[in-house]
Amino acid sequence: MTAGSPDSVKIRFENVWQRFHVVRKRARTLHSALVHLSARRLMQFELEALKGVSFAVPAGETLGIIGRNGSGKSTILKIIARIFPPSAGRVEVNGHVSPLIELGAGFHPELTGRENVVLAGVLLGFTRRQMEGKLDAILAFAGMQEFADTPLRQYSTGMLARLGFAVATEIDPDILLVDEVLAVGDEGFQRKCLERMNSFRRQGKTMVFVSHEMGQVRAVCDRVLLLHDGEVLAEGKPDEVIARYHALLREMGPGAPVRK
Amino acid sequence: MLELFRDTYRYRELIWILAVKELKVRYKRSVLGFFWALLHPLLMMVVLTVVFSSILRFGIEKYPVFLVSGLFPWIFFSQSLLYASESIVTNGPLIKKVYVPKLVFPLAAILANLINFLLSLLPMALILLLLGFPFHTTWVFLPIPLLGLVLFAVGCGFIVSTINVFFHDMHHILQILLTAYFYFCPVIYDLSVVEARFHGLFRWNPLLYVLGGFRSAIYYGDPLPAPAVAVALGGGLLMVAVGYALFRRYQDTFPLYV
Repeated sequence: MTAGSPDSVKIRFENVWQRFHVVRKRARTLHSALVHLSARRLMQFELEALKGVSFAVPAGETLGIIGRNGSGKSTILKIIARIFPPSAGRVEVNGHVSPLIELGAGFHPELTGRENVVLAGVLLGFTRRQMEGKLDAILAFAGMQEFADTPLRQYSTGMLARLGFAVATEIDPDILLVDEVLAVGDEGFQRKCLERMNSFRRQGKTMVFVSHEMGQVRAVCDRVLLLHDGEVLAEGKPDEVIARYHALLREMGPGAPVRK
Repeated sequence: MLELFRDTYRYRELIWILAVKELKVRYKRSVLGFFWALLHPLLMMVVLTVVFSSILRFGIEKYPVFLVSGLFPWIFFSQSLLYASESIVTNGPLIKKVYVPKLVFPLAAILANLINFLLSLLPMALILLLLGFPFHTTWVFLPIPLLGLVLFAVGCGFIVSTINVFFHDMHHILQILLTAYFYFCPVIYDLSVVEARFHGLFRWNPLLYVLGGFRSAIYYGDPLPAPAVAVALGGGLLMVAVGYALFRRYQDTFPLYV
């Protein structure tokens, strides 16, 4: 299956499992390591973030992933972005993937916005010269020209999200991953982002969109996946899956713990 | 090993940018800025010269030259390891956001220190000029011990950066180990002042030959002895192979722990 053909599958997960060793109290120092050595088993438990997840995203589709906190949404994005390999199962990703833009997309707080944009691009496999060519467009889209030479540590959360989204979309990836980035931007910027995501759709690009904002999910997604405790609970048209999600939330009650 | 060289070449621009970033960040907030790269080794030389030629009296001719010919390479090696040990952890936010081959981080840390070392050749030349010390033609051999030292720094850098991900005390332990190792390597003294019965033990230290290579080229003006070349290159490559094998085995789990 080639990446270029229009009906090819861009992302395919087959029975993917992800286990994390979660430590209730991590022994990061010699003292606590010695103290907890005997109690190691008690201090550590295995969290199954994904339990046999399967799905496929054809080229040109925008897939929404919804679910409660801790249901495994971000883990899926991280596996797509190759940040870590799955514990078990098969993952196929065809095409150039955007970086994960989440809160604080700033790569290095001491460097300026401009330097960070170039660094981010080189990390994604572009040359320095290519990135310098894109700099103006990125800063313009983010509306950050005035702060281009300010160190990132002085940016606000919203400014970081703007820059992160601008970098991720301006590098023109085949597959765009968007995780909650819109939650922090102001309304004007949110509109700008949604417009850009829609223009990505028109260009036939593939997107995976994680959000708790159901209005936005309805506005951009072709299909939605509902995750619950690391399993796919429902999959289908946005309206149907969102209704199922709301029913799930009612069932669980407000303030239900993140995991049983 | 082949994969290591291929990825290093493929990501050379990234390694370069990360190294420059490292240097920028290191000096950005200090008043003297980049001058510290030159000042730090010079000041260390002054301190050690006062202690070991005026107070303790080793009786080594032109002691400052003797000293810097071993001290500046040593500073490169020890700083490389200290920066490499932190490299994965400090780049944690980045590792969690985008796929990057992890080896670029320790390599960039070492490259940053290599740039520093090459700059420190300037104050070194200044010292030689001020003392009227000749520039021996054997300076042309310097790339060999330097390559050896880089290989040892890379190999050890892979090891300490891996351990530091899982065990943050590594960085602190490393500082102590390096202090101890500093006295074990003949940097401030010559091997001849060590009692003969310990020489067997000292000969097991690979850096003895590598640092000795710098000293014979700069201070003694002797061509490199064959064992120095063999240990510098052979031992260095072996160190890289061992270090990279460990690093490679654990690199996929780094994003889960940093």
